[in-house]
Amino acid sequence: MAMNVGGGSGPRADINVTPMIDVLLVLLIIFMVITPLTPYGLEALAPQPPKKNQPPPPPDDDRTVVIVIDGRGNYQLNQEPVAKENLGPRLQQIFATRAERVVFVKGDPDLEFQVVAYAIDVAHGAGIDKVGLMTPKIEAGE
Amino acid sequence: MKREKTAAVVSDINVTPMVDVMLVLLIIFMVITPMLSKGQTVEFAKAVNAIAMKEADAEDAILVAVTRDGALYLMPGNTRVGPEEIPAKVSDLLTGRLDKTVYVKSDARAKYQAVEEVVDYLRAAGVDQLGLLTESQAKKQGE
Repeated sequence: MAMNVGGGSGPRADINVTPMIDVLLVLLIIFMVITPLTPYGLEALAPQPPKKNQPPPPPDDDRTVVIVIDGRGNYQLNQEPVAKENLGPRLQQIFATRAERVVFVKGDPDLEFQVVAYAIDVAHGAGIDKVGLMTPKIEAGE
Repeated sequence: MKREKTAAVVSDINVTPMVDVMLVLLIIFMVITPMLSKGQTVEFAKAVNAIAMKEADAEDAILVAVTRDGALYLMPGNTRVGPEEIPAKVSDLLTGRLDKTVYVKSDARAKYQAVEEVVDYLRAAGVDQLGLLTESQAKKQGE
């Protein structure tokens, strides 16, 4: 009664793709899981105190740029208050003509780390390759 | 003779085994993912300009984790340390190394004071290159 006349192996003409799809999906998932594991980060410097027997570097206060973040998350470049979204453009403007791109970040201890990370991020985004962290002990000259 | 026979061809794919496999994988990865991230899990701060730091994932990378409540963990070993133990331990780990970078893995909402303190103590250990681990966020349009 059945109509297959072409012998036992007749009707299965197509490849069984199910195992292939399984393997592909497994690979897909593995790669999806592995990719975000590569750690990302921001480079920062912790300036070392000058050696005892060396003279301290000459102060050039007018050229040192410090991003100050106060306890309420307001940003200042040296003494000049800057809005959060203007920080990047302002830094670019300041450093447009400078060869040595160094900036220091000084955050209020009560801040959350992400606020400071944002400032460092913006500084890197403005093309500054050396971001130093100002800590209380550095300020005290230790 | 147009009646459907018992051996009628099933033309659609049987997806049940595939779904089985998918679900098993899903569960496996759900279980494994928290274990894969070595050491302390923290919620990273987000940064647009973060660069890949493959070395931070190395077995012997020196990493200080700062959790939200300000507790410090030192890798390798993932041991909880007090801030004042950092200089001795880190300078021990640093001896004989060329790459003197130390990674700081801080929770986004940890107090900056805790991070500052870590940086200060790392300086005392002679570290000047820091890697602040963050999450990489795609650049926004127009930036």
